[in-house]
Amino acid sequence: MDAESFTNLALRVLAREATDEERRALDAAMTSNLAYREEFSQLKIAHEVLRILAPMTEATQAREPELPAYRLNELRTAVRQHFGPANQRASTMNNHGLLTPALRWLLGGGVMTALAIVVVLMSFSDRMVEIGLYQTDTVRGGDTPFSSADVPAAHVVTFNQDAPFDQWKKTLGWNQHAKVWIDNENDLLHVVRRDKNGQIIEQTEPLAPTNREQREQISRAVESLQKK
Amino acid sequence: MWTDRELLTALRRGDDDAWEEAFRRLYPSAFAAARHPLAALTPSEAEDIAIEALTLLLPKVNQITELDELRPLVVTIASRKAISEKRRQLADKRGGGDVTSLDAMQDDETLRFEPAEQLASHLTGTDLRELSQLLDAALSHLEPRHAQLLRDFLVYHVSYKELAEKYRMPIGSIGVNLARSLDKVRAHLKTSPKLWKELIAYLR
Repeated sequence: MDAESFTNLALRVLAREATDEERRALDAAMTSNLAYREEFSQLKIAHEVLRILAPMTEATQAREPELPAYRLNELRTAVRQHFGPANQRASTMNNHGLLTPALRWLLGGGVMTALAIVVVLMSFSDRMVEIGLYQTDTVRGGDTPFSSADVPAAHVVTFNQDAPFDQWKKTLGWNQHAKVWIDNENDLLHVVRRDKNGQIIEQTEPLAPTNREQREQISRAVESLQKK
Repeated sequence: MWTDRELLTALRRGDDDAWEEAFRRLYPSAFAAARHPLAALTPSEAEDIAIEALTLLLPKVNQITELDELRPLVVTIASRKAISEKRRQLADKRGGGDVTSLDAMQDDETLRFEPAEQLASHLTGTDLRELSQLLDAALSHLEPRHAQLLRDFLVYHVSYKELAEKYRMPIGSIGVNLARSLDKVRAHLKTSPKLWKELIAYLR
């Protein structure tokens, strides 16, 4: 038996196409020639490998059939089960990779820092109301001098000169809540305060005619300011 | 339209649209692999296997570096599943007590699936890609008619009789043609000895 006839016969046996007579002929050939036995063994492996793998390599090139529409929900469910609900995925991941989570952390940190600063500033802020007066006003009319004892919740600041008093009137420090002063020239009580939004508001009201009434007026103003 | 890199990134974060796109792209390969001639499943059974193979890609997506790796991966999964399913079906039949004699046992179809299962389960996507390239190159060296004959025999497991009818050849010539072509392909595959040795090892 020549080599080509042997390969043909061996392949027929491997492909289960051989008759019983052909099987016997192959057995006889391999018995009389050991090289044929080895050749059969090699051919069997090649046949086996290619019969298993050739359909798989062909499958990698397949372009049809299309995915049946009625199986889509099943696949979507599998995706949800594996990755979790879509809204959770959206909240934890996004289209911009790591950039936006990083920004979110930074901004989140920024907001937290800002809040912390506000809390700290508020804790440092002075809720005390200052009352500004000329030194001479405290002895106005020969009455008992106006002092901190009249309005314990306030801090009385006295001035001897116009310039520092004017300067004091113009400023309300970041940690100051309010100022009150008496404008004797115009008989007005000035109230300057910072509102909830941080804006400075100045209001005036007619000054009470007597020292006693002025003390009461200032006390009421201070009480009112401390509530705001 | 997704680029491969965008699609892979979106798949990793579990984007629904990206997965739908991937499933659509990969289903034809998964279905073709599930219809492996050794398994000979019905179209309906193959469809079930293909869908299962696609879902099994979900946990694998973080293990790949290129989108291209998904296709050979789903093919190996679907082929293995299909062959296992066929083996299970036959084992169920055998469990009914149909097989009694030693000869019948030796000729048992289920035994034929063991090397196929073994090989399919060990094969990586890279192996399959390399093998696919090798096989294409080997077949391209044959005359187109002979290449198609061998392809029908190996890929679709067409019988000698059907091949003789399709190619209008005497049945005796079919074997000779196949033997010559197979020898040439075998010689070409051996040009990648590492892969060839691995394949043989899985079959032993």
